Amino acid sequence: MNAKQVIAARLAEWNLTLSDAEIEQLAPAYERLLGWQSALEGMLRSRQIAAGMNFPESEPITIVALDRQGGRR
Amino acid sequence: MTMTNVDELAYMPIAELAPQLERKRVSPIEIAEAVLSRIEKLNPALNAYYTVYSNELRAAARNAEQEIARGNYRGPLHGIPVGIKDIYEYGRTTCGSKPLDNYVADEQANSVRKLVENGALIAGKTATYEFAFGFPTNKSYFKPTRNPWNQAYDSGGSSSGTASSVAAGLAYAGMGSCTGGSIRWPAQCCGIVGLKPTYGRVSRAGVYPLAWSLDHTGPLARTVTDAALMLQACAGYDPADPGSANLPVPDFTAKLGHDIRGMRVGLMRSLYDSSCDARIRVPYEAALREFEQMGARIVEVPSITLAQQQAIEWPAVFAETAAIHVDNVRHRGDEYNPHAKLFVAFGLLVSSACYLMSARVRAQVRDELVSALDSACDVLMLPTSGTPVPRIAEDSPGLSIVAEDFAIYTPIFNFTGLPAIQVPCGFDRDGLPVGFQIAGKPFDEATVCQVAFAYEQTTPWHQQHPKL
Repeated sequence: MNAKQVIAARLAEWNLTLSDAEIEQLAPAYERLLGWQSALEGMLRSRQIAAGMNFPESEPITIVALDRQGGRR
Repeated sequence: MTMTNVDELAYMPIAELAPQLERKRVSPIEIAEAVLSRIEKLNPALNAYYTVYSNELRAAARNAEQEIARGNYRGPLHGIPVGIKDIYEYGRTTCGSKPLDNYVADEQANSVRKLVENGALIAGKTATYEFAFGFPTNKSYFKPTRNPWNQAYDSGGSSSGTASSVAAGLAYAGMGSCTGGSIRWPAQCCGIVGLKPTYGRVSRAGVYPLAWSLDHTGPLARTVTDAALMLQACAGYDPADPGSANLPVPDFTAKLGHDIRGMRVGLMRSLYDSSCDARIRVPYEAALREFEQMGARIVEVPSITLAQQQAIEWPAVFAETAAIHVDNVRHRGDEYNPHAKLFVAFGLLVSSACYLMSARVRAQVRDELVSALDSACDVLMLPTSGTPVPRIAEDSPGLSIVAEDFAIYTPIFNFTGLPAIQVPCGFDRDGLPVGFQIAGKPFDEATVCQVAFAYEQTTPWHQQHPKL
């Protein structure tokens, strides 16, 4: 499937229908999204624990954790 | 009052006006009338306010005058008219969106209630990008807000109306909200101060969300002191906001005027060096030299790049926005600004794995910045954006905002949650304002304000106002 077909199929899962022109506008942004995914993978810190196997060094905590620094939560 | 007196009164800093109110040398009624006369004269062109509470403001001003006369002075905001971004629930609350044109909130956003308890007078509801993300154009139901420095230009967003009204003397300060830069960017475009506090410092209860994990609320004002006074009045723990921090509220003005000699200002060059327009860079680098002259030490701090910032911020913003708006857009998407439906659709394309990777990297970047602030520097500094103020658009930029040439350096402090302030540092060659950011340790807004204040007091920018 090309990008436009992928977009239309993914949006159909959400019962959201866009015109061809709208999907055309989404296509370059979708390509950029795929680039961000690669960039994020490249930024993730982990340590290797076996060949081809990594142990993650961060977890998806949100910035709410900032106020735990004083142990108040 | 002559118009000159009206203008002088409307542009007085809160910090100077408050003692005069307390000593009854000026009346809240006089102040309210000054602001209302400027709104009447200037708002039709600027479109900074969607709703003006003229009668309510006069009534509140009369009450404030009586309270102060009885000796019940509530503090520096007592009798001061402020504007509230129209995504905060308070009376008519449109969120800048046609489907909500007639929505009147039963409740008040908790931060606004705090401002009112501290004596602030609500002048009206200020213009916003639709739901804080949908760019208005001349074709939109709600028209764009114009920049008081040059009305052919945008006021920035999404807290457009608050920034424009404060810069134009139609309010003394106001409240904005910020998910990727929506307090600091319009503050830069309009040449004023925008203070995004630490995530959790100010309640978001009653404010229409854009992206829960990134949304902040905070003030815009004409001076650092006034922004600190506003923050003082609205900050604090609120159990109604799940992200609210249960921490004491310090005196945000405590360090204003303290020497910054010897303090280390950390530059995050990797984020802005390759994309910052020369029109921004020249005044920004002059500000750096000013810090050196004040005795601060400029140091380099490793940081992420603009492309990395976008990779972290945008999937999170769009996915969370989609989660909030998908059902609304299914039903009334055709009434949104034209591209808003596209933004929501784009968010639905973000995979859960991508979203979670973004959240993990946010944690890493946050830890790195906090570590740098613990060891290498006292504050961080960088331009607010690397792109000059845009003209009012005939057509929406749509999804082109995710392209790298939209160089804005504010989101890093949304996804790390660190406090950051935008301070004006001059004008570009087209006469439009330029600014920079100072960021600091979590919940250390007082130091952020200290450093920003030190710069402000050595420069004339906060004393200049648009000719209207």
